Amino acid sequence: MSILDEWIVLDTNIWIFGLRRVSDIPACAQLLGLLDRLYVVLPRQILQELQANFSEEEVRTLFRLLSGLPHRMKINWEKAKQENIEKYQRLGCKLGDAVIAAHLEELGIKILISENRDFLSEVKELPFRRLSAAQALTELEQTAP
Amino acid sequence: MLSIGAEMDPRVEKLAAEIASLGEKEQRALLEQLAEVTFRHGLIELSQSYLKRLQQQGEHNQAAKKVLGKLKQIREEIAAREYPG
Repeated sequence: MSILDEWIVLDTNIWIFGLRRVSDIPACAQLLGLLDRLYVVLPRQILQELQANFSEEEVRTLFRLLSGLPHRMKINWEKAKQENIEKYQRLGCKLGDAVIAAHLEELGIKILISENRDFLSEVKELPFRRLSAAQALTELEQTAP
Repeated sequence: MLSIGAEMDPRVEKLAAEIASLGEKEQRALLEQLAEVTFRHGLIELSQSYLKRLQQQGEHNQAAKKVLGKLKQIREEIAAREYPG
């Protein structure tokens, strides 16, 4: 399975940096430009973080866009299980990061793309890989037909 | 407003006839491609309107590190509200 044919999660910072077109991290905007080639899941916690950053109109636009690619974009509105959150907290994660890790594990996601280098760095043997936007782009280039 | 029997733009009519002449597989591929292009354009528009708003609020030039710090704070606040146990 490659990044092109498995469901992945983009951390909130990828969406925000990409849409802000942050010049220090151009890979985020580049990655968003290739979203229609990826299979992306948006778990509840990330959806709520996006809602906290965007205006109502921007959220509506984002949802409309996502619903235009139903075979590539999946919204998951389920809460993460408390026991999984606690498991990641015991491994040293803050509550918010533990929620994200629990979401990924429950959804069977194998790739998280994030620009937060500290995120879950303290946790060994995670059930998913962490990639930066630049690393994800490199994998995309290597696996693109 | 377009009503039944109203005349269509000739270009649209020609395009519709061309699409209708395609095979089922090609039609599906075309629709998928159309959805992807619409998505890409929509994302660019969303980015532009988001940036415009940030500019109005004087927040568009914030350093990535500062934005990341704010995102971490929002993450913790939402998680604490959602999972108070």
